[in-house]
Amino acid sequence: MSTFFRNINFRILNLAPLVLLFLITLTGNAVINISFISINILYVLVYFWTLKLPESLGNGYIFLGGIITDVIFGLPIGTNPFTLLIIASVASYVRNVTVRITLINDWISFLPTLIIANFVYFIILYLSDYQIDYIYLLKNSIFTFIFYPILWIFFSITLRLIK
Amino acid sequence: MEAGREDFGIAIRSAFLKKGTKQRFSLFALLILSVFLMFIEKIETKPLNVLRSIIKDGIYQSSVIVSSPAKGYKSLHNKIINHFFLYEKNKKLKKEVNELKNKKYKSDFLVLENTQLRKLIDENDSPLADLVNARVMIDKKSPYLNSFIINAGSNKKIKNGMAVTHGKNFIGRIVDVNFFTSRVLLVSDLNSKISVLVEPSGAQAILSGHNDKELTLDFLPKDHQVKNGDKIYTSGKEGIFSPGIPIGEVKMKLKKVNVLLFSDLKQVTFINIDVGIKK
Repeated sequence: MSTFFRNINFRILNLAPLVLLFLITLTGNAVINISFISINILYVLVYFWTLKLPESLGNGYIFLGGIITDVIFGLPIGTNPFTLLIIASVASYVRNVTVRITLINDWISFLPTLIIANFVYFIILYLSDYQIDYIYLLKNSIFTFIFYPILWIFFSITLRLIK
Repeated sequence: MEAGREDFGIAIRSAFLKKGTKQRFSLFALLILSVFLMFIEKIETKPLNVLRSIIKDGIYQSSVIVSSPAKGYKSLHNKIINHFFLYEKNKKLKKEVNELKNKKYKSDFLVLENTQLRKLIDENDSPLADLVNARVMIDKKSPYLNSFIINAGSNKKIKNGMAVTHGKNFIGRIVDVNFFTSRVLLVSDLNSKISVLVEPSGAQAILSGHNDKELTLDFLPKDHQVKNGDKIYTSGKEGIFSPGIPIGEVKMKLKKVNVLLFSDLKQVTFINIDVGIKK
């Protein structure tokens, strides 16, 4: 009986990243804006779980999450899936070349990932004739990078519970 | 050196092409699919538009369902807060009612005078606009697009470009129409540029959004006499919106001509869409 409950518990916890992904995308909270601060939690979520436990967040789900975000935010369909998959690709590469993953390693490798992702985002929106607020984009990148460790700690606790 | 390059190649191949455990799709295949989707987004054909409408309607409805607990909590919180300030609010409203009563007598007289003057110059009253009411379903503003999703689409004869008002005040235009939902691009958005008229000077200008509360008037004539408190209306020059829809008022900031909207975009729940002239 206890094994049964442990199995159910494990399965529910294992779904946590997926539930979080769809909750964030469907409620339109991929980017959190609190007065001057703007954080893209979707980037952090995808990067963290692809790096630590890729089985919990399938590529197909990341793609679907991106499509939902595009529809909710009114962006050209394909923009967010492409950006999120770029993040997942870099995270997957980092996972292949890194032996021991620590917060500092993660944080440092997240910086080029963020720059590549936002650059791709900028290029796509520019080509789609969208006016872009450059300062906002820069602000968003900086705060997403700064707040990465906080989200890292939160996700690490979830990861420990899953494992 | 060669071994290092080989390792890099292996890591890249492994990251992009290998599916990994429990993965059904490789990253590379999905990246190609994303590019394909971006490409077909530009193609306008009926079957594709129908498919897009179905997908968007489905996602919007799901979003409303998923967001309902948070919205419910927010509305409950607002109700409780409002309850605490009921007495103060009542006092304020009584004062406002008295002020409005006085203004009403004045405006009744002006309406009468206006009708008589129109009769004198043989001008008919302007035809009434046919308005469709809708409710804001999703008001999550994207970092790159200040917009609303409303619960009226092609089922209520909504078309792209139609003017959207909050009460009588202009707040934006329709930019994307599905079967049961539409997207309203707000005037405050960076992509919004509207031809407007400044009263009483009569100057014409372009009202531009900047993703924040204050908008600006661009392309004003060099010797314009625009001053604080001047009213801004749609000019109707582009032939899309009816002329004379109130938008906001001028607020000069140094040499910049800013515009404060009459409607608070954060408080919009119900809106009207101008679908043409009533027959």
